[in-house]
Amino acid sequence: MLPPESTRLLDVQARIRERFRLFGFREVLTPALEYSEVIEEHGLRDASYKLFDPHNQMLLLRPEMTTPIARLISQRLAGSPPPHKLSYVLPAYRRASVGRGQSAELYQAGVEVVGSSSPREDASTIALLVDVLQSLDLSAPSDFAVVLGQSAFYAGYLRHTAPDAATAVTTALAAKDLVAVDAIAGDLPADAAAGVREIPRLVGPATDASLVEEAGRFAMGEEAEAALGNLREILRYLGAHGALGAVILDLGLIGRHDYYTGAVYEAYAAGLGFTIANGGRYDNLLRRFGKEMPATGFAIYLERLLSVLPEEGPPPLLVLVGGDVGGIDAAAALRTIGVPVLHLSEDLPPEEAAEYARSVEAAWISYPATGGVKLATADPPGEFVFMDAESVARKVLS
Amino acid sequence: MSGLRVAVPKGAIFEDALSALERAGLPADVLRENGRRLVYRAGDTEFIVSRPSDVPVFVEYGAADVGIVGKDVLEEQRPNVVELKDLGTGRCRMILAAPESRAGDVRRAIRHAEVVRVATKFPDTARRYFERMGRQAEVIELHGSIELAPLVGLAECIVDLTATGTTLRENRLVVLDEISTSTARLISNRGAYRLRHREVAALADAMPKGGTIVD
Repeated sequence: MLPPESTRLLDVQARIRERFRLFGFREVLTPALEYSEVIEEHGLRDASYKLFDPHNQMLLLRPEMTTPIARLISQRLAGSPPPHKLSYVLPAYRRASVGRGQSAELYQAGVEVVGSSSPREDASTIALLVDVLQSLDLSAPSDFAVVLGQSAFYAGYLRHTAPDAATAVTTALAAKDLVAVDAIAGDLPADAAAGVREIPRLVGPATDASLVEEAGRFAMGEEAEAALGNLREILRYLGAHGALGAVILDLGLIGRHDYYTGAVYEAYAAGLGFTIANGGRYDNLLRRFGKEMPATGFAIYLERLLSVLPEEGPPPLLVLVGGDVGGIDAAAALRTIGVPVLHLSEDLPPEEAAEYARSVEAAWISYPATGGVKLATADPPGEFVFMDAESVARKVLS
Repeated sequence: MSGLRVAVPKGAIFEDALSALERAGLPADVLRENGRRLVYRAGDTEFIVSRPSDVPVFVEYGAADVGIVGKDVLEEQRPNVVELKDLGTGRCRMILAAPESRAGDVRRAIRHAEVVRVATKFPDTARRYFERMGRQAEVIELHGSIELAPLVGLAECIVDLTATGTTLRENRLVVLDEISTSTARLISNRGAYRLRHREVAALADAMPKGGTIVD
């Protein structure tokens, strides 16, 4: 990746890191290679690149970050008090399906909160996601929205009213096949069928209280009741975070099959068909590593996010041409007051200097002069004007 | 009324798709004007016309908010889209067929778990069908007339769509098995389904619903 693409990605990563830190998350690094047993989910294993170590043990290039972090916490942080609030900004690797225009290397940034089952943590991670997207100049709900569901609600309703059909219905819904859901509902008794059909169709702004009201009609059985209560709590805390306006409820959103155990969410941007981030509560994952620890978190897909961010001009940069020792002095004087300087040691004539400046997206070219520099715009090439360092700083950094 | 971009498939289910959209109150009539254009605007609705197998691609990427496409295409491609409604039109069957004269041989070959050669436009559907039976098949993907393949010895049998069975009969092919039934579906992009739920749900509700498929 070259500038400006690479610098845009790095700038966005820097901005995200800043927000993560402001919310108290500490950043971790994990190896790109994991033992294949670490990742258990079939879909993810299939999508992973596989390698073999010298002892013929199968390794995977990590296809995501949540499981490696779960492993890290269970092995290395078992002694410290929960919750563990960790973040990462790292690439993951997936075998791209041909023709789907995906890269095999995906840059991700995300957080995990491990060791708390409180709905306050679900709400605060969602609020952090909203904060990150807003800090990148996206506004909700016109540019993006976080779609929120509660996977235990539908699962609980099904186990209570139609236990025999539960697996078939959730499989159909995970495949987002509402036609199949309706077909299964058609074979169920009327009272069970109503919820099977209606719950996935409860979609709308989270500020609209009537949706949760309506969902209340289907809160049958302890599990569904508790799940809806949990969702109400999350919404209340999201309101306190001031993030409710960015949230759309979808009670049919259950996410990956058998993975999310409570809140589950996906962020969408206007005009992009794919999720730019997703997350949720995964209370069963840590069990695999011998620790019973509830957890919640999200991952942002940075390439997709970049594709929806407003274009930004190149950062300020001045090309200073030649000047031998005087050039070094002039460059140092400018850098001291915060002007980014690319110093070319060759004494290029102005036309070539301007061409070079355009190729590195520098708006200004200059030559050292006594007490300052001679400054001109690079595109279009302008007249050189003598200025002292302070005046240059005002021009270049404005 | 909608402000949506709708992907409509050319070919067999084009007319049915238009009348379904019209019955839902969308000005789909503009698509009948002339057959050359690819994008049509009517009011605040935009229609795009594409090959049936491309409809799920436009919708999955969000280049169209909703689209109409046969279940056969969805089963083959398994796109990540929301399947909203069975429109009941364009009913056809995905079948395994072989030449009349060799039907017995092909049946026996499959029963004895021999590797049979099968020509199809639906390679994933064919592969999955044979895998489900615990059988192996050499799948040959073609893009044109599939019926030709067994007639000239390119394949022993075919996996293909049939509505009336006429083409099969004309080429002396007999159906060995029915793999699935397909009808036209309304699909939506995952993001559009949530971000523009009111419009998408209103369209889905207003479109005529097909009967449930009886297998």
